[in-house]
Amino acid sequence: MKKPEEEKFGIVSRREFIKGLGVTAISTVAAQTAAVAQELEKANAEKVIGPGAVPVTLSVNGQNLQLQLEPRVTLLDALRNYSSLTGAKEGCDRAACGACTVLMDGRPIYSCQKLAIEAQGHQITTVEGLAANGNLSPVQQAFIDKDALQCGYCTPGFIMSVTALLQKNPRPTLAETKHACSGNLCRCGTQPHILQAVFQAAGVSMADKTEVIKHV
Amino acid sequence: MNAFEYATALSPDSARSLVGNQGAYLAGGNDLLGLLKDYLINADILVNIKSLPGLNKIEPGRRHWTLGTLVTIAEIEDNAGLAQAFPGLHDAAMEIASPQIRNVATVGGNLAQHSRCWYFRHRDTVCLKRGGDLCYARESDNRYHSLFTGNTCISPVVSSLATTFAALDATAIVLRNGKETPMKMDALYHRAWENPLAHNSLDPGDLILRVEIPTSRRSSAYMQVSDKHAFDWALVSCAAAADVVDGKLAHPRVALGSISPVPHQVEAANQFLNGKTLDDETASAAADMILKEARPLEHNAYKVPMAHALIRRTLLKLKG
Ligand SMILES: Cc1cc2nc3c(=O)[nH]c(=O)nc-3n(C[C@H](O)[C@H](O)[C@H](O)COP(=O)(O)OP(=O)(O)OC[C@H]3O[C@@H](n4cnc5c(N)ncnc54)[C@H](O)[C@@H]3O)c2cc1C
Ligand code: SF4
Ligand code: FES
Ligand code: FES
Repeated sequence: MKKPEEEKFGIVSRREFIKGLGVTAISTVAAQTAAVAQELEKANAEKVIGPGAVPVTLSVNGQNLQLQLEPRVTLLDALRNYSSLTGAKEGCDRAACGACTVLMDGRPIYSCQKLAIEAQGHQITTVEGLAANGNLSPVQQAFIDKDALQCGYCTPGFIMSVTALLQKNPRPTLAETKHACSGNLCRCGTQPHILQAVFQAAGVSMADKTEVIKHV
Repeated sequence: MNAFEYATALSPDSARSLVGNQGAYLAGGNDLLGLLKDYLINADILVNIKSLPGLNKIEPGRRHWTLGTLVTIAEIEDNAGLAQAFPGLHDAAMEIASPQIRNVATVGGNLAQHSRCWYFRHRDTVCLKRGGDLCYARESDNRYHSLFTGNTCISPVVSSLATTFAALDATAIVLRNGKETPMKMDALYHRAWENPLAHNSLDPGDLILRVEIPTSRRSSAYMQVSDKHAFDWALVSCAAAADVVDGKLAHPRVALGSISPVPHQVEAANQFLNGKTLDDETASAAADMILKEARPLEHNAYKVPMAHALIRRTLLKLKG
């Protein structure tokens, strides 16, 4: 039997890893990620790996994360507990609440129900990756302006879903917005303000939508 | 979640040999990781099948369309040609779970998802389906359970794709013992009708390769009722498909989900509808036939009138 500490953090302990951040663990050469991952995939294909920790390279917010993870570690766990990227939240850990939503190649997914090892070769975006040059993204700013949160636990997940929606469909209707947000739950009941934030971010005039939103 | 080994398969045959008898295929992972996290199943190895070549395509054809097992629910939802050919399939896909799930969930994984019975899903109750000796649902809260079953377990099939594929008379092609084995939806779930331990008829190592949907029914529809407006399994779902020629139904089929361990189909009702012009009276008579043998339990009798209404409404959506 392994000791619990080792089991939880694989070969590199969390503290050692965090100490290494900024020096070697994160390389900013995002362009190489896909190539690295493809190499890894080829090298690992049809080869049985694990159950112990193995090298895993993730591309998160344009940076390479080089981690040592057991195959059973989820992407959410890799982000939060092995990399200190705590923007994605753990709610249900069962694909049922949306708090852990991140973008994989631009599409929202639940990071709690995806193994980190499978996310190699894909571009992962978390809420930490949205601000550019110190400026919040329009969606983030709209959430603040419209007071679209209370406890804030669901907020990063909603922001990722809305960001993906507006990239695909810059001027969504109310129905399209609800459909796109249906995989995110808010226990505090902030949905009406979230919808207002979406329309602000989309640059849609509120006048014709306000009545509907009041009755959501 | 217990630790497991992991491998990425590059061909169906190597997937089969890697998975052995104690492993599991990993597709979208939405269901599988939940089962593992709650210790409902054990797998010594997960074989990632998402790199299997050629199985991620939607291919139109004159006699049938082919959906590779790795096609995602979102790809079904977004494919305009498919939506035109099979509107019912589009509507079913659109209502499955959430965008985050649809973006990764696959055809094969959706068909092979395990029971959602809340006693089965509770890690501390070992019911009949997990090898215990009691069905807890029969004597307890069975509001989400079946109106029909051939065994003691009353957990229904909840795959919306299975319901729709049954109405469209689609065939899953399963790699079994090195041979491609065609299975219609009744065959794919028959074992769950007979055996409380089964979720479907797949043996360990059986690999769904693709689903073929005949083009002979140009009209199709799907409807479901859930507790929540979105992001919820159906209490009852219904799919219907037919060709409508001069206002008359040709080779119609109706299937229901969430009320039986198999997609519920009554051949006599399909035959009754054949050649008929649809009106509420005809649809209602068909619904009577489809639900005649229903055996409601203490808490799920509401499903009978709900299914009756759904059958009528779904049939009346079929257009010429
Ligand atoms: C809140 C919520 C609501 C939902 N609502 C619905 C709904 O309304 N309708 C609905 O249909 N579903 C619903 N789902 C379920 C969801 O759609 C399924 O979990 C998903 O489709 C499973 O697909 P996957 O690719 O992620 O499967 P995985 O989790 O990867 O696999 C599921 C199972 O299938 C096996 N498997 C995978 N691929 C193959 C293959 N090719 N051959 C043989 N075996 C295979 C796996 O080993 C595993 O046992 C809901 C889920 C949630 C969390
Ligand atoms: S219905 Fe089936 S899965 Fe649910 S408690 Fe009974 S035996 Fe178990
Ligand atoms: S934590 Fe992933 S969906 Fe709830
Ligand atoms: S703001 Fe509290 S859960 Fe949404």
